[in-house]
Amino acid sequence: MALFSAFRPVFSSHSLPVYDFLAPSLFQIHRAPRSIRHLSTTPQRHTLSNFQNDSPSTAPRTPKTGTEATSNPASTSKPLTQAQRDFLSRALRVNQTGELAAVLIYAAQTPVIVASHPHLRPLMKHMYDQEAGHFVTWNALLSRHRVRPTALYPVWTMAATVLGWGTAVMGREAAMACTEAVETVIGGHYNEQVGGLLEIFKEMEAEGVEVGEDLRVLVESVRRIRDEELEHLDHALENDAQKAVPHELLTGVIRAGCRGAIWVSERV
Amino acid sequence: MATKTRILLAPRKLKLPSSLRTYHSHNHPAPPGPFTPVESTILSASAPHIPTHGFTLTTLSLGAKDAGYIDASTNLFPRGAFALVQWHLYTQRMALQHHTGIISPEVRDGGRAPGVGSKVKMLTWERLMGNREVVHRWQEALALMALPSNIPPSVGELGALSDEIWYLSGDTSVDSSWYTKRASLSSIYAASELFMTTDKSDGYKETRAFMDRRFGDVQAVGSAVGSLGQWVGFNARSGLNVLRSKGARI
Ligand SMILES: [Fe+2]
Ligand SMILES: [Fe+2]
Repeated sequence: MALFSAFRPVFSSHSLPVYDFLAPSLFQIHRAPRSIRHLSTTPQRHTLSNFQNDSPSTAPRTPKTGTEATSNPASTSKPLTQAQRDFLSRALRVNQTGELAAVLIYAAQTPVIVASHPHLRPLMKHMYDQEAGHFVTWNALLSRHRVRPTALYPVWTMAATVLGWGTAVMGREAAMACTEAVETVIGGHYNEQVGGLLEIFKEMEAEGVEVGEDLRVLVESVRRIRDEELEHLDHALENDAQKAVPHELLTGVIRAGCRGAIWVSERV
Repeated sequence: MATKTRILLAPRKLKLPSSLRTYHSHNHPAPPGPFTPVESTILSASAPHIPTHGFTLTTLSLGAKDAGYIDASTNLFPRGAFALVQWHLYTQRMALQHHTGIISPEVRDGGRAPGVGSKVKMLTWERLMGNREVVHRWQEALALMALPSNIPPSVGELGALSDEIWYLSGDTSVDSSWYTKRASLSSIYAASELFMTTDKSDGYKETRAFMDRRFGDVQAVGSAVGSLGQWVGFNARSGLNVLRSKGARI
């Protein structure tokens, strides 16, 4: 647990910025001060070691037996309700699926894009590395909380690779339009999830149930990752995503696909 | 007595272990198990009668009597003797976490900690040995589990057992192998359990050998082609990578 708090910003339930999920537009969301825009020409700022500090995967994960896990619950605590546990497992599952797809999209796009636009190499690497960090975060949380991954894992693997490669072959603008569409949906999705989590916290506090370290870390991780996704969205827009032809059709189709994918992976 | 009878006559359905495979909290107590306190009392009092009277209503009413309830309390169990099977499966599954010697063994200097695979094998064996006392009655249990209405909870319990074993063994994979691992362990366990009902050998040596062979088969198949799901999923991706490694500029 100590390791968890190492990467967690100072946080207390009394200072929750509860309104961020009500932000009407993705662009007006309060940004953490560290999420300075990375222009495409800026050298890569995140290194691998950065992620390792950033993700809970570094926490020693020795499987706890049921008794070990329950013998030391917060003293005032009650079990989570079925609805709360369902919400949490669906949320973790869909997040993992999304980041799996993101990693594969960038992996498929990068060689194609970099071959014709070498100056985009640092940007592509930067975004890929962040996605890989997100993926590691959700993987660790799925196994920690015994949440099954999506049953359609192979399907999403294939679909994301095809999408990444396909848009990259269409050119830089199309690839960036793909990022734009994906990040718009994902940013919105994470935002809604923060809302859902805060809703659960309120429920728990009303019931007198301890929220607990894990859920606090979870909401912080969702916020941090959401901010990084929105940063990717900025990069895409800076790199002429909107000049892709036919932009509306392409982003519309990809956005619809992402929403469908979220809907399915929450359930299957 | 009168109030007791009234409570008992209200039939309740036994829930599936559906609480499993959904968010497991380390900061909160576990949700209540599938049995009510009264059910648990009667079932745990019945369990010692299983070796003599089998998975039958006789056992249930003997247990009820031992626990101080009237005979009619078996009405509490709409699925009848199947409740005894569920109790056995549930308690044996929950007992696995106490094998701390297997789950987190002490490793002496220079020694090597057993890997996930060998822990899975050891826990599967321990679970089979959990049937030792009732194995001569186990075919009755299998017959009850095969009734159409009992199949879903029985299959659910088998899946929950596999999940428990992989979890306790420290497996952390959350890709499509999550499914193939659980499916293959379920089939190994079910086959070994059936084999054990006919095994007359000393210390169930033949069951042990049978189980080891099943694990061996899975390893052989696994290394030869990989699981089908992964194969499908990684095909597109690795196809792209292979072409790229051959110098194709795609
Ligand atoms: Fe991401
Ligand atoms: Fe992203």
